[in-house]
Amino acid sequence: MIGQLTVEQVAEAMREYGPAEQVRKNRIRVNTDPQKIIDAISAAKQRLGCDRLILISCTDDTGSFGLTYHLTGPHRTIISLAIAVPRETPQVLSASEVLPPAAIYERQIHDLFGIVFPGHPGLTKLMLNEGWPDGEYPLRKDWKPEKGKSYDGAAREGA
Amino acid sequence: MVEVMVPIGPQHPALKEPVNFRIYAEGEKIVRLELNLSYNHRGIEKAAEERNFIRVLPLLERVCGICSHSHATAFTKGIEEIMGLEIPARAQYIRTIIAELERMHSHLLWLGVAAHEIGFNTLLMWSWRDREAVLDTLEEMSGNRVHYNMNEIGGVRLDLSEKQVAAAKQRLPVLEERIAQYLDMVSHQETVLLRFRGVGKLSKEEILKYGAVGPTARASGVDNDARRDDPHLVYDEIPWKVVTDTSGDVHGRTKVRIGEVAESLKIVRYCLENLPEGPVRVVSAPKAAPKGEILSRYEAPRGELAHFIRTNGTDKAERLDIRTPTLANWTSVAKALVNQNLADIPVIVAAIDPCLSCTSRMTVIDTGTMTQGSITWDELVRKCRARYGMEAQP
Amino acid sequence: MTGNSQSLSQRLATWARVRSPWITVFNTGACNACDIEIIACLTPRFDVERFGILAKGSPRHADILIVTGAVTWKQASRLRRVWEQIPEPKYVIACGACGAAGGVFQGLYHIMGDVGKIIPVDIYLAGCPPRPDEIINAVVACLNLMKEDLAHGGKEWRKNTGEKEASPGTGGAEVKV
Repeated sequence: MIGQLTVEQVAEAMREYGPAEQVRKNRIRVNTDPQKIIDAISAAKQRLGCDRLILISCTDDTGSFGLTYHLTGPHRTIISLAIAVPRETPQVLSASEVLPPAAIYERQIHDLFGIVFPGHPGLTKLMLNEGWPDGEYPLRKDWKPEKGKSYDGAAREGA
Repeated sequence: MVEVMVPIGPQHPALKEPVNFRIYAEGEKIVRLELNLSYNHRGIEKAAEERNFIRVLPLLERVCGICSHSHATAFTKGIEEIMGLEIPARAQYIRTIIAELERMHSHLLWLGVAAHEIGFNTLLMWSWRDREAVLDTLEEMSGNRVHYNMNEIGGVRLDLSEKQVAAAKQRLPVLEERIAQYLDMVSHQETVLLRFRGVGKLSKEEILKYGAVGPTARASGVDNDARRDDPHLVYDEIPWKVVTDTSGDVHGRTKVRIGEVAESLKIVRYCLENLPEGPVRVVSAPKAAPKGEILSRYEAPRGELAHFIRTNGTDKAERLDIRTPTLANWTSVAKALVNQNLADIPVIVAAIDPCLSCTSRMTVIDTGTMTQGSITWDELVRKCRARYGMEAQP
Repeated sequence: MTGNSQSLSQRLATWARVRSPWITVFNTGACNACDIEIIACLTPRFDVERFGILAKGSPRHADILIVTGAVTWKQASRLRRVWEQIPEPKYVIACGACGAAGGVFQGLYHIMGDVGKIIPVDIYLAGCPPRPDEIINAVVACLNLMKEDLAHGGKEWRKNTGEKEASPGTGGAEVKV
């Protein structure tokens, strides 16, 4: 059985992308940039044997959005690749080429936070109904539902 | 365009739970699938930012009506780890007992549903009848058949009395016998073999590529189980094993789930017999959690559940990001359905055991003939059964 | 009081309806615990089919509509349409805390809450989720309502007498579960 990775191994493998730190037992975090994230994921796959994406978590950090790609593999360590996407231009290349499961998480993040993923096969609504007004991203910290406004997804006939 | 309405869930004709798939088909063969989950989106993650830890637990339990304890425990243990709390051993054992009982009732529910798909209604009735024994145990221990609310930050809410432990132990032998019968039935019954074997096959490489989790993945030989990979509760202290299979089809997933029920029975028995003495909660748990971040993983009945929690020193989570196993499995199902027959949809989709908290509806668009029509769920199921030459068995 | 105001065929229809109500369930975005408890009613432990209660998929054949869930925005208009498809006399049971006021999901951004905002509700059933026994109780209470209404020739009379409480489970016979 492959043993767990040490923070040194991860730091070495991810050296072009950013520093690695051991956050807690079995969790190693690497901070990197949005431009490098796709290559960082490929590096994690090839050099560290990460074959699985657990989730892409997204947080609203006021000035930016924090996206973290949590990967794991037979070594059972979780490698979290964290990037910060600027709030004014929330855009980062889609990881779905390199990790097919990413597509569905990116759709979810797009719906709830408004981050755009160029290269994504189809950023259609996943969680919100069709009638949901454009430009309203519920999970942003500054969003509150307006009283009296209808967020109705009235069904089309026959649908 | 052929429009098909498809409910996913306990597929009794009475329940129309539409889930939104858009299926592009050429004649009877499926070409592509798209998913929309908006029917059931409630906005829970946003609410979790506004409710303190005590109020958010009942909300999280109700994300799903079957795996409620999973969500509550994943959150609770994440917060406890950020706080650095040590939970008493007895509380961990009780949490494990409830968790495994939940896994049992969920898999038995699934077994009935899958049997109903293929017209084997007898098995539906039997497995749900046995499920009642598990629900009785849960009700005695927690007060409710579903949504047990056993977790608190710092331990569990209720202790188990001698009588409850004895009553639970008394129910186990019957369940063990029945599970052995189901395993036998599933391995040898013509009906089942015909409908499940070779259907919805996913190879090990495809599972890894598309990120499937839970029994869906384990049936293809992928040895992933969050209970062992990321030890929590008491899984690293007690003897148990991960159940896998190599066939990768619906039949394999059925065997894995039944095997997991048998394994859960053993875990529950071990925990009941070796319940350590002591308190069931920390004397005074802190109200607020320090600044921190954690990815909390838990093996729900459907697969790995991940809660990403960020705290900021207050008594509320700043961000809670939930990734349910069904969402992780969806990509693999979409791939498994490509080039399959429309008639196989109910079985293949049911095989990932989609958590019913996704409601959706399916639109089938026939790219070849561009004809439009609509089929109800009943008609689709009848189509399935007709294709394999069997009507609903009594 | 029955009979005088009704023809033979009407009385036959009443008898059939009350003896064997057909139920349809509509999920407006629930956690599904209620739906599972409804299905559990059909399984051997509770076995409502012995009472002649049948769960039917299509609203066009139903007498009673059971609504589960806290009504997401998406489902609101559909719920209304489903209700319109059900022929009179029809009855609505709002199942669980969600149906009453949104339950634990009160105030969430994708939820409307009370089923009564969309369609008229005859019975609110408490519980989260209500046990199968309680669901059967609610259906029986509904049947009592149905009987009373049919005796008075419809639902109109209730508006004149003001609030009328339905008494659950006074069907009389012991129900063994």
